Amino acid sequence: MTPTAAPPPLIAAPALELREVSKRYGDFTAVDRISLTVPAGSIFGFLGPNGAGKTTTLRMILDIIQPTEGTITLLGSNSALSLRNRIGYLPEEKGLYKKMRAWSVIAYFATLKGLSRAAAKRRAFELLERYGLKDFAESKTEALSKGMGQKVQVLAAVAHDPEFVILDEPFSGLDPVNQTVMEDIITDLRSRGRTVIFSTHVMAHAERMCDRLAIIARGRKLFDGTPEEARRSIPGRVKLQTSDSGSIESLRALREVASITPGPDGRWEIELSGNANPQAVLEACFTGGIRLRSFQFTEPTLHDVFLKLVGPDAREASFR
Amino acid sequence: MRIALLIAWREFAENARTKGFWVSLFLFPTILVLSIQVPILLEKKGTPTRHFVLVDASGEFEPLILQAIADQETKRADSALRDWVRNNRAPDLLAPFVQTNRELDLAALKRERGTNYLNIPGFKAPTAKLRRVPLPEGVEPSFPVDSLAQLLRPWLREEQKLLVDGAKRDLFAAILIPADIATQSKRGPGDTSSAPKPTGIQYWSGNLADTALPDLVESTVNGELRRREYAARGLDRQTVQAIEKTRATLTSLNPKKASGTEQVGLSDRIRQWLPSLFVYLLWVAIFAVSQMLLTSVIEEKSNRIIEVLLSSVTPGELMTGKLFGIAAVGLTMLSAWIAAFVGIIVWKASGISPAEAAAAASSAGGGIAQVPADLASILQSTWLLPAFALYFILGYLQYAGLILALGSTCNTLKEAQNFMGVIVLFLMVPMFTLTYIPRDPNGPLAVILSWIPLYTPFVMMNRVTADPPLRDVIGTFIMLLGYTGLVLWGAGRIFRAGILRTGQPPRFLELIKWLRNR
Repeated sequence: MTPTAAPPPLIAAPALELREVSKRYGDFTAVDRISLTVPAGSIFGFLGPNGAGKTTTLRMILDIIQPTEGTITLLGSNSALSLRNRIGYLPEEKGLYKKMRAWSVIAYFATLKGLSRAAAKRRAFELLERYGLKDFAESKTEALSKGMGQKVQVLAAVAHDPEFVILDEPFSGLDPVNQTVMEDIITDLRSRGRTVIFSTHVMAHAERMCDRLAIIARGRKLFDGTPEEARRSIPGRVKLQTSDSGSIESLRALREVASITPGPDGRWEIELSGNANPQAVLEACFTGGIRLRSFQFTEPTLHDVFLKLVGPDAREASFR
Repeated sequence: MRIALLIAWREFAENARTKGFWVSLFLFPTILVLSIQVPILLEKKGTPTRHFVLVDASGEFEPLILQAIADQETKRADSALRDWVRNNRAPDLLAPFVQTNRELDLAALKRERGTNYLNIPGFKAPTAKLRRVPLPEGVEPSFPVDSLAQLLRPWLREEQKLLVDGAKRDLFAAILIPADIATQSKRGPGDTSSAPKPTGIQYWSGNLADTALPDLVESTVNGELRRREYAARGLDRQTVQAIEKTRATLTSLNPKKASGTEQVGLSDRIRQWLPSLFVYLLWVAIFAVSQMLLTSVIEEKSNRIIEVLLSSVTPGELMTGKLFGIAAVGLTMLSAWIAAFVGIIVWKASGISPAEAAAAASSAGGGIAQVPADLASILQSTWLLPAFALYFILGYLQYAGLILALGSTCNTLKEAQNFMGVIVLFLMVPMFTLTYIPRDPNGPLAVILSWIPLYTPFVMMNRVTADPPLRDVIGTFIMLLGYTGLVLWGAGRIFRAGILRTGQPPRFLELIKWLRNR
């Protein structure tokens, strides 16, 4: 965020690598053999329902707790503790020292990360000004609204300009305006060559920002790749409306069609097989003389992907 | 270490910024000053003039009582004049009577100026404390004692006011002496008279706390009665007075002191009791900072700040920082208290005139004026202050260890307070024994408590000026050191395991497991 800081080389080794990492508490397996690779300079989304093991995994990456099995390599090191000053962390449950002033909280955490007092103070004011909190710099944190407090906390996490930033549920509890500010903070980090990994269960943010993402549920990794790959992992759908209900059945013969489900008022929902082109269905309608009142192709969203992958699991597992 | 210091500094700065800290910082000196000044002020101004009525049916004691009261008022006025001369530039007319040490030669002044000697420009003689007033209208002294009491009730109950010099006043007391007081008095076993139940002097007053007036009446009347008895049995006044002055003296001697200085004086008593004051300060300080520590740990834990901290610092650094930071708060508080204590002693010492000091010193065992000087020499010649610092640090560390372990396993302050209650219960023992230990500083109770590490700092502190055996001093110190180390080690383990935990506090067995893990 300071223009002077030169971004580190983007190529070469990944910023983070998890290999077969597990965490067990007695009989309960919180994280089950997860492997991940986060390229340097990217935004990585860590998606999963409540109790999926996201926070546990992030804590293991930070070396706050130790994995039962597997290895974690962060910025080339096996222990995050040895490079604490190069990492920034925003925990899931947000809290600040109530009696401290906004700037001094940010400055305090920055000094713990190795900045001098003077530099930390300067940096705190600079960040507060940039993200619209200048007027609240001298306020005690207990006087801030929840959204402001959360912004202060994120700023505290990145005040020392870390190379690797871990944000646990950064969007929770923020209004749409502040969610946008949070997205700005995160994309700013990437634009300056920093690596960001954040967890969420709101797909929209992940869809907009992530270079890569992983979906986990009940401690297991269900998907790992780019958002595009995620979307392509489930078939697209065509919704159409017609009065020729009889001739619709002929579409079943098409290779591109996996299933056809009728709806009310002559509406039909066609699930395409694999990554089939919806064009083929439209052409078949023309050649078959089916009179269409509407034809709509919907690409699967991350939300669909998420529901499809973790749907059955999400109802259970409310524990952590 | 840099990180631990940063954490310590934040702890110190945050706690030093709280109102509670400043209140406690000034509270002790304020209480100390007040406890010295308020009685003096009350003495000077606080007590209003007490108006009383006196009916002496016998007619024999009234002049004696009034004389005794007048003597007392004169004494107060003399002392006030002396103080005034000492603290103010005396006017010229007094100059011949003021000695070089600013002491007033009262005898000479009275000889020269007679009864008018208090009438000096600028000096305001104290108002009379006791003042006899005439009976209210309609109440005659010739009425019998019982009906007098009945008639005076409305005034004594403050339902009616007396008119004194045009102002309305409350009647403080009524003293009713029956006519036959001399013959109706209680007598010793030799009494052969068959008088009925003695009625005696009736002292009526709604105020039972101030006994100055009844005491004075009683002693005056009794003194006179006895003197008459002596006279009746053939002893003349002078002989009786001479006999009354006969007195054997008792000297307290301490075998532990060097020969020639065995006499026990005030300074020895200060030496005996001063440690108790320090134990009290120690206790208050440890108690206060323990609370701060608990609040600080719980805040970080309940706010989940702890996770951010632990991504930046190790639990060890966090714990060390907290211990140091809060210790610094406690030391600041204690230093301020001790400084205030010493400061007030010096201030008070400078206000005491040499003559008073000399007079006080000549009375048996050294008087109150000697106190500041005695205190100073005791502080210099004993291990009080160094022991205080040492026992504060060790006492603080062991209790802090317990608190840290406790705080790290609880999620809310409320949860922690329940356990804190148990710790406070243990902490009460040194308070209960606070005044007992100095009476027998090397007795069995003191020795046993000294060897219980929870109490070692307090009890050994209390014994420090009583020359405890070296075996106790060094032995308990080594034990305390070891115990404190052990507590901190265990606290470190529990802290590390407990600090990230949420949900129910761990069970006892779980704690044991944490202690044995890694």
